[in-house]
Amino acid sequence: MAQLILKNVFKRYDGQKKKMFQKKKENDFAVKDVSYECKDGEFIGILGPSGCGKSTSLRMMAGLEDITAGEMYIGDVLINDLQPKDRNIGLAFEDYALYPPLTVYENLAFNMRAKKKSEQEIKKAIDYVAPLMKIDDLLNMKPPALSGGQKQRVNIARAIVRRPGLLLLDEPLSHLDGKMRQQLRQEIKRMHHEIKCTTIIVTHDQMEAMSLADRIIIMKDGEIQQIGTPLEVYDDPANEFVAGFIGEPPMNLMSSTIEKQGQKFMFTFEGSLLQVEVPRRYNKIVKDQMKVTLGVRPVDVLIAKEEVSSTPVPVAVYENLGDERRISVRVGEMLLSMTTPDDVYYEAGQKVQLIFHEERTHLFDPETGERIRV
Amino acid sequence: MSNHQQLTDSSKNKSILKILEPIGRNLGLTLFAMFALFPLVWMVICAFKSDAQMYNTVFVFQPTLENFRAVLIGTDYFKAFFQNLVVAGGAVIITVIAGVPCAYALARYNFKKKEDVAFQILSFKFAPEIMVILPIFLIFQKVGLYDTFFGLIWVYQLITMPLLIWVVRGYFEDISVEVEQAAQLDGYTWYEVFFKTLVPLIKPGMVAAALLAFIFAWNSFTFPLILSGFKIQTITITALRYIASDTVHYGQVAVASTIAVLPEVIVALFIQKHLVRGLSFGAVKG
Repeated sequence: MAQLILKNVFKRYDGQKKKMFQKKKENDFAVKDVSYECKDGEFIGILGPSGCGKSTSLRMMAGLEDITAGEMYIGDVLINDLQPKDRNIGLAFEDYALYPPLTVYENLAFNMRAKKKSEQEIKKAIDYVAPLMKIDDLLNMKPPALSGGQKQRVNIARAIVRRPGLLLLDEPLSHLDGKMRQQLRQEIKRMHHEIKCTTIIVTHDQMEAMSLADRIIIMKDGEIQQIGTPLEVYDDPANEFVAGFIGEPPMNLMSSTIEKQGQKFMFTFEGSLLQVEVPRRYNKIVKDQMKVTLGVRPVDVLIAKEEVSSTPVPVAVYENLGDERRISVRVGEMLLSMTTPDDVYYEAGQKVQLIFHEERTHLFDPETGERIRV
Repeated sequence: MSNHQQLTDSSKNKSILKILEPIGRNLGLTLFAMFALFPLVWMVICAFKSDAQMYNTVFVFQPTLENFRAVLIGTDYFKAFFQNLVVAGGAVIITVIAGVPCAYALARYNFKKKEDVAFQILSFKFAPEIMVILPIFLIFQKVGLYDTFFGLIWVYQLITMPLLIWVVRGYFEDISVEVEQAAQLDGYTWYEVFFKTLVPLIKPGMVAAALLAFIFAWNSFTFPLILSGFKIQTITITALRYIASDTVHYGQVAVASTIAVLPEVIVALFIQKHLVRGLSFGAVKG
């Protein structure tokens, strides 16, 4: 059990690189000035598109990569120059990385045998972990005989059997099919609840991060975009990237010009007659002819049941997904989509009037992508 | 002919084929085996013939152990046998010790001209031995390696090393790097990682390549012929000695060859399964 602290951590790969460590070639920073703190027992999700430096961060924590600059602490110990084995961490690799000639039991015991623990202790530890990850039946099998989901269970069990201070999971679910993924996700959550170990999961799947993590760190191009609880990053995105990355279907992000019409400000869109009133709380900061990026989640776009001030627009696509209905409207070049759990039906071409949820309509600076706050 | 008859006819044909097929296959294989093994059989027959019977082709003859007596007791054949074992065995041991790390480096690390280096190693096997033998001979004479165990073992690396490096390299490339890193995290030092996790995984390939290398080294003729003199004699060279200036003792040559072949046959039979799987697995993917 331990907390993890990163202080201004940088990572740069040299131009000529060893093949064993990753693929990126550019002489650029893979991780730029990253600082954060994970509390003891916290479950942190590092989320980002591929190549954003999330796996690199994890590998630096594990000691498989050097830290170019900055400091990393586990508990009170500076771990920059510590050997991987001395960091007291457990890492579950993406590709399982089990030792094929050994049985599952021996795989789990491998680490403790290195530490010269007694066979009794080893047995005790495995007897505790095996039911936790539901692998008690597999202990005598060898990895090639296991399915992907089973391998990943063993892999995670191997990482936690040593009782690490810090548990690192590197995209543990990315190689599994949908159903297995959901099942294992719940089991990881349950496992964390049970052993309460500081855990960091790296993933590019926002669903995974949202459902598992206590806090999410969103990264892009080696930089942190936002740190917050799943609700915070969903409801209060710091910038356009976070807004577009979190949520399924993604947030509608549309470039818009604000026009002053009498006392009201209206969003107008190039190539479309659609006009929507700017929420009043923004009145102090918006100006006539100001260009903004408007962000609103599909669930927060509503179809007016009565006459409202917005312009009627024709429905472009209607999809019925069973538990929700998706309706898309063409706005100039862009598609504005909305979802509703209500059992409604619209023909393509039918005119509807749209309302944006006032509290959840976000503005972003079109230049920097930063959120414009009141 | 009615449809029904046609059907039964064709099914009859099929069942006949079913019987004929394995017979034909086995017959073909037997014929090929006879063809391939005939020189061996002929060699063994010759070993038991006296010089007088040597040039006839009758299969019924009075077997004699005269040739065996002449070779095994009359000459220092066993010394040559032992020395061949030392040279070939030594060559393979050094190949494994030096070649496995080399293969690992070629599989894991990226360095300039990596592929060129790998190809250069392989190209040692392309060049006929006779092409390089003269300069090597001159160099060996100058530096005092001529007619030494070390000299022969060294030059045998040309035969044994490329094979082992290329086979084992393919095996290393198939092992995920993460397996090594996992072992590192588990607290093993680099040599423990190597011996505990990697060696068991590359073992089939390593054993197969090493044994094949041993056979090549055992059979080598040109190098020991030129690079060794009286002190060290391998059995491939020794067999030549029974060709005297006046007459060729084919019987004795046959005895020398028969005994020389024995270790190879034994090794090949022992590792047959290993050999096929070991070589094909690594090579195809590598």
